[in-house]
Amino acid sequence: MAQIVLDRLTAAFTGGEILQTGSQHGNEWARVRRDAWIKVATFLRDDPATKMEMFTDLTAVDRFSAEPRFDVVVHLYSVTLKHRVRLYGGCPENDPTIDSLCSVWEGANWYEREAYDLYGVRFKGHPDLRRILMYPEFVGHPLRKDYPKEKRQPLVRRSHTEAGE
Amino acid sequence: MSADSHSSGLEPRRVVLGFQDAEDLGAPDLPTEPVPLNMGPSHPAMHGTVRMVLEVEGERISSADIQIGYLHRCFEKESENATWTQIFPYTDRLNYISPMLNNVGYAMAVEQLLGIAKSIPERAQFIRVIVGEVSRVSDHLTCLGASAMELGAFTVFLYALKAREWLFELLEEVCGARLTSTYCRIGGVAYDLPEGFGTKLRDIMGRIRGVLADIGKLLERNRIFRDRMDGIGIITKADALAYGITGPVGRSTGLAYDVRKDHPYLVYDRFDFDVPVGSVGDNFDRYAVRVEEMVQSMRILEQALDTIPAGPVMVADPRVALPAKTETYNSIEAMIAHFKIIMDGIHVPPGEVYSFTEAGNGELGFYIVSDGTGRPWKCRVRPPCFSATAVLGKVLPGLFIADVVPTFGMINMIGGECDR
Amino acid sequence: MADSGPFKTVGSGPIKAAPPPPEMVTVVIDGKTHQFPKGTVLLEACNAVGADVPFFCYHAGLSSPAVCRQCLVDVKGQPKPVPSCYTPVADKMEVMTKSPRALDVRRQMLEFTLVNHPIDCPICDKAGECLLQKHYFDWDAKFARNDGIKVKKHKVVDVGPHIVLDQERCILCTRCIRVCDEVAKTHQLEMAQRGDREVLTTAPGHKLDNPYSLNTVDVCPVGALTAKDFRFQMRAWELYTMPSVCPGCATGCNVEVQHSRGQVYRLVPRINPAVNKHWMCDEGRFTYKRAQTERLVAPLSGGTPVDWDRALDDAGRALSAVLAATPNQVGVVFNAQSTNEDLYALARLAFDHLHVGKAYIAGMDQGWHDDILVSADKNPNTAGAMAIGAGRLRTLLDLSNDLKAGAVTALIVVGTRGVLGTGPGVAALPLERLRALVAIGTHRDGVTAAAHVALPLAEWTEVDGTFTNKLGMVQRVRAAVPTAGDSLPGWEILSHLARKLGATMEFTEAKAVFAEAKQKLPFMREADWGRPMLPVQLRFANTRG
Repeated sequence: MAQIVLDRLTAAFTGGEILQTGSQHGNEWARVRRDAWIKVATFLRDDPATKMEMFTDLTAVDRFSAEPRFDVVVHLYSVTLKHRVRLYGGCPENDPTIDSLCSVWEGANWYEREAYDLYGVRFKGHPDLRRILMYPEFVGHPLRKDYPKEKRQPLVRRSHTEAGE
Repeated sequence: MSADSHSSGLEPRRVVLGFQDAEDLGAPDLPTEPVPLNMGPSHPAMHGTVRMVLEVEGERISSADIQIGYLHRCFEKESENATWTQIFPYTDRLNYISPMLNNVGYAMAVEQLLGIAKSIPERAQFIRVIVGEVSRVSDHLTCLGASAMELGAFTVFLYALKAREWLFELLEEVCGARLTSTYCRIGGVAYDLPEGFGTKLRDIMGRIRGVLADIGKLLERNRIFRDRMDGIGIITKADALAYGITGPVGRSTGLAYDVRKDHPYLVYDRFDFDVPVGSVGDNFDRYAVRVEEMVQSMRILEQALDTIPAGPVMVADPRVALPAKTETYNSIEAMIAHFKIIMDGIHVPPGEVYSFTEAGNGELGFYIVSDGTGRPWKCRVRPPCFSATAVLGKVLPGLFIADVVPTFGMINMIGGECDR
Repeated sequence: MADSGPFKTVGSGPIKAAPPPPEMVTVVIDGKTHQFPKGTVLLEACNAVGADVPFFCYHAGLSSPAVCRQCLVDVKGQPKPVPSCYTPVADKMEVMTKSPRALDVRRQMLEFTLVNHPIDCPICDKAGECLLQKHYFDWDAKFARNDGIKVKKHKVVDVGPHIVLDQERCILCTRCIRVCDEVAKTHQLEMAQRGDREVLTTAPGHKLDNPYSLNTVDVCPVGALTAKDFRFQMRAWELYTMPSVCPGCATGCNVEVQHSRGQVYRLVPRINPAVNKHWMCDEGRFTYKRAQTERLVAPLSGGTPVDWDRALDDAGRALSAVLAATPNQVGVVFNAQSTNEDLYALARLAFDHLHVGKAYIAGMDQGWHDDILVSADKNPNTAGAMAIGAGRLRTLLDLSNDLKAGAVTALIVVGTRGVLGTGPGVAALPLERLRALVAIGTHRDGVTAAAHVALPLAEWTEVDGTFTNKLGMVQRVRAAVPTAGDSLPGWEILSHLARKLGATMEFTEAKAVFAEAKQKLPFMREADWGRPMLPVQLRFANTRG
């Protein structure tokens, strides 16, 4: 369905930036080497045969016992050519960083903040990387597999002056 | 607005203010300093619970920091600990104004992973379309009603909610609940439509058309309404693409993308309907697109009710569908099947899929990762109003504080969906 | 059972010479060619390569009678389907595990097994981990063809001190009989009657009371044999499981701690061919109970509960006074029930920082033993304690004499179980002669009651650590439930205490203590901390069956 996208990717990037491609349940996907993340994304946005102008989704998956531990997953769509692709960028546990896509699509901003908040993946070059769903004093990254569901967080106490007394 | 078949026939009017800004009058430069202004999370107009930290100079906003997360209820974390079927109640509470659409989206995603997407019985597919469109109408009614109320049109709010009540009563007959329907199951729907559903729905649609006409008369040529909506909160098509904004908000910018038309799913390809597309991308366009979408949804509903076939509403796969109660209580085989489906959860083969449908606010995506057991490894919801709320940080600066209200209202940010 | 559920074994084994390479045969399974050592059972071969074949009566640790006929597969050249649990692989064998006839035969066997099976799932303890449920759902999803009138047998038969039998649920696989005969080496169960009246019953004049009886509950594929201890206590699918090691004796059988909502409900054996194979003794199974009763949950100073800071201050002050005045009168007690990490931290504090001269070893007394699994030494870490003590440890009898002679006036006890033993000479440990007694213990017992400061210690189910069994294998225990009350792991308590005594010993996690101990202690050179593991919910793991 979107095989053209995978073909263009493997044709344009011959230096091993595309680690693997595949198609499953009608979804085409490509695994991209971390250092080529922005290059591949920009190519997909601008190449006339792929034209992925719409940024659909960015999230992370915690594979826990596989290497690399975190997979940053991006879904892109082309409104004109009506095809989509999924990109995986693997980040190991001891260095969970990857480049930010905010320079390619502005909308990646909030999605990357969410991935940072919930998984702890840092996005290099992000203009404003802070928590978005959790409150600022939250400790930890809740969607990681080793964060137990019932874990309690320390209470946040406001000082007397802040409370308006 | 474009004059093609997608337009709704409503004209925007560029309204000229009857007085001039103080700046134009040559008034002496009053000293100003940026003032931080906190709107929300507890604020009558910040429905869905969102906090906007605005920096204002005079009445104009110079920067806006939209802070969401006040309604975060850990959908993804809970999904990782629940069986596939147990996630349906969680999906109800995503976009809680149109719960059926979330149910349908999630069920389709799991069915794709299971490989039974093509074997869903036809009647079940029609039912999913019907309840989905009913939910869409109620979603748009709520959005219009609430936004109008915040601009002062309280009557419109009551009219819209009266219409919504008819739909909720109908949905209550179908599944037992107005809001938390949990109606779909993996492989079909939970129960068949009740008797007389078609007649009741047609009657309600006739009355809703009347209500829409009333609302139109009250709002569309209303000076106050038009002043506050025209030319305010313009989102460009380029921004819609960069931020991934779809649905009525995206279409109001001129982006002609509707999942039902571009990637038809269920039985949408059998129905004849139009997709309204705006041109300016302001608040009024969003209002007009929603009104027209309701009209088109009712078109779909008429056609669906006319052509719905008889038949089962659940796929006949014993590993997915629960056996009948009489069987369960009287034979060990059915008892075991019932037990394993509920306790172990349906065994979905390992894999990943991104499945998308057109929800009330746009492309609702479910990205599901399965590890082969009865519960997901990851169940991600791609919320359509997340992107729309994000673009507010770019759209609000330059507007008046008072413009925040209609702009935010017309984005239709549903807290349950945005924060999950 | 072919494999023991979600965990593979972790732990170093004793060093032995490599066996000679086996002779390999080539077998084609479902179209793919594989090589196996000669003598491998065909069923194991099929399951090893992913061609799943269901079975009931086969068990990797027992002999194979081929009575259930569930594992029938088609072999090219054989006129009838072949029971794969009884057939060794032969060269150039071609096996079809999913041929239409094989699948049909599987369905028919399951149908026969289910004909008289009672509709007990809602009240059966095995529900959720039942092999019959699993195989029916995977291999035969058809509904019943008969009218459902079933043969009635006895339902609640008391066969032994720990086990209840339900004869209707029994599918006559004879695994339990083989466990008693081959593992426990006594004949206590047998089949009686025949046809559809066949029932499991105790051998004439016997009860099911051998010390390995609860293994029959593990191997039973259905809920026919259930443990009285676990019966109706908790549903299997709500349990989370964590691999660990039994603390009952020096054998160190590998177990899974199965818990839910912070409470342990049972222990089941984990497969380890080097230590306990597939089994464990009944006594070891009940060791979880004592970890949950009568616990010391708050620090006590002078008998009253205080907070940690205050208790540590008092302990520090009391010990410092003795250390300053008469440093050679301070003693420490190592306990063979503690983990290597706790003992290493104590050794470092006592010998390296405080230069304590008097060290003793305590532990539970010797008990009964046999040559199957049970050791006489009822402590899980005697080997570790002795190695860490490095020859400086003396017995409790010596401690008793020293106390009476006044040679010891301050004592730090890490692990209080077995300190006040029942043997001659040690029951009357004159603890009241001590000027400072700091007892770091898990339970409210004589020692913590007599202590000036009692600090709550976390139990083996609540900490990450290692035990060294009698073969010298260092095996990992993992934290399954949260620590009780305010208790902390021993190494952490000793780190805090060290600070109060002016020594620097800052350990922040068990893994760090292990790493340091591994470098310094020769017997831990081969030890492996293993990967972090998430507790697995039984509901979403493969059936243990």
